[in-house]
Amino acid sequence: MYILETKNLKKSFGGVHALNDLSISFAKGKLTGIIGPNGSGKTTLVNVLTGMQAITGGAVVVGGKSLHAIRPEELPRLGITRTFQDVRLFEQMTVGDNIMVVLTARGPYAALTERSERKREERVKEVLEKVGLWEKRHQLAYNLSYGQRKLLEITRVLAMDADIILLDEPFAGLFKEMVKVIVHIIGELKAAGKTVLLIEHNMDLIRELSDHVIVMDAGGLLAEGKPDAVLARHDVIEAYLGE
Amino acid sequence: MYIPYVDIVPQLIANSVIAGAIYALIALGFNLIYGTTKFFNLAHGAVAACGAYAVFAILKTFALPVNIVVACAIGAFVAGIIGYGLERLIYRPLRRRKASNMVLMVASLGAFTALQAFIAILFTSQFQALESSGGISGAIEIYGAIITHTQVVIITCGIAIMAILAFIAKYTLFGKAVSAIKDDEEVARMVGIDTDRIIGKVFFIGSAIAGVAGILIGFDTGIEPTMGMNLLLKGTIASIIGGVGSLYGGFLGAFVLGFAENFGIWKISGEWKDAIAFVVLIVFLLVRPEGIIKK
Ligand SMILES: Nc1ncnc2c1ncn2[C@@H]1O[C@H](COP(=O)(O)OP(=O)(O)OP(=O)(O)O)[C@@H](O)[C@H]1O
Ligand SMILES: [Mg+2]
Repeated sequence: MYILETKNLKKSFGGVHALNDLSISFAKGKLTGIIGPNGSGKTTLVNVLTGMQAITGGAVVVGGKSLHAIRPEELPRLGITRTFQDVRLFEQMTVGDNIMVVLTARGPYAALTERSERKREERVKEVLEKVGLWEKRHQLAYNLSYGQRKLLEITRVLAMDADIILLDEPFAGLFKEMVKVIVHIIGELKAAGKTVLLIEHNMDLIRELSDHVIVMDAGGLLAEGKPDAVLARHDVIEAYLGE
Repeated sequence: MYIPYVDIVPQLIANSVIAGAIYALIALGFNLIYGTTKFFNLAHGAVAACGAYAVFAILKTFALPVNIVVACAIGAFVAGIIGYGLERLIYRPLRRRKASNMVLMVASLGAFTALQAFIAILFTSQFQALESSGGISGAIEIYGAIITHTQVVIITCGIAIMAILAFIAKYTLFGKAVSAIKDDEEVARMVGIDTDRIIGKVFFIGSAIAGVAGILIGFDTGIEPTMGMNLLLKGTIASIIGGVGSLYGGFLGAFVLGFAENFGIWKISGEWKDAIAFVVLIVFLLVRPEGIIKK
């Protein structure tokens, strides 16, 4: 069963067709790896799916509903969240508040009624301890190391408890230890039945984590299928080597 | 002002603090709005004037039998509602259409002009006094400096409102939501913060504070429809030299400006005050454009 689909999705920047009639589907509760050479439109896909960039043509189908425009504020309702290739945090807020503000963000009236401060604090502690950032809770996000920033962004995803999670190169530039932590988190998300889209250039990680792999090239679909089968294809290898 | 046999320095300090407190009240609201929306809301000055004229309408035009504090509260509320109305009717629809901050600023200039004209139509363009018979009068003396009771209220309000805003920013969910919007509005929306509602509240609060400033200036020196322009200029200069969008920056910048102006005219004529303000602004723009408090 597909929880998220794109139908002839198009996104152009002037003459550049970053997404070119892309029709792909994501199975519920599965991890779909998305690979493709630089500039093949992976980030643009995530941007369009999350309403950060307007759709030029085609549609996105979420939970059976066809959408021609998505606004970021609709994402909590649609059960979608994401990370960014260039990490985006609330820089001038503490690590703890970066998570707290997500937990309290269910509309102002919810914030008034669900005044259970302690529950929220427990939840902040829970997710920050899980990723090992609890000791840093009073630090400004701005002062974290690159790896810790990536980690905090994933922690925000955990805190949001969305059903569909789009991860744009969560391992890029990380040390082995940090990669392990994030692999572990992704494993937990899978175990919890979340639908995960994972954009990644490291083929070993893609092979290890994906249930299904989608290969993009020049804004379109080049190949898809089981990881081992797809990664062995000549045209896929060529697309990567040819860059 | 000529005060015989009095050392001028205490009075200069007092005047600096009074001016600083007024500028702080304008800058606090202005910075709150700028910090969350990233555009220069030029209407802010006219909104301050609206607060003053609302009090004038209550106390003078209709001579309603209300307590002066109640009248001021209503005046601040009116200013808040006008600021909120501008956000709902003008700025928000423009933001929805992805208008640039420059477009928003020009729109706010239009709002400024319209509000100012509206005030002039309703209340004439004359300079008028706001003080009422049952109001605050009298003065106190500290080390030879004369400070009127109105001015005491001005200083108290400036500091109190700063403290309240600092508390809200640090300890409340609302404050955290505002802070998140300041840092990254798009991500704030993505994680479920109702940014429209928060920004609406920010406009109300920031504009109500501007209203307080307008009202207090009105009691101190009087009102005229164009009073907003000077307030706006000094408030924005204070914001810029303090650190635009920063709560403490605006506050600090306001007092730096107040002292610079008042000590600047120690040996020269008072007409130079505004020129001094702009000199301070230009020096900061050249030497430290990010303001005293940089992120
Ligand atoms: N905001 C933009 N304005 C103009 N062109 C853009 C914009 N964003 C992306 N593009 C173009 O769209 C194409 C796809 O870019 P995109 O960032 O989606 O690639 P990607 O697959 O994520 O690449 P990478 O692996 O390097 O992250 C590229 O040609 C890029 O130059
Ligand atoms: Mg990318």
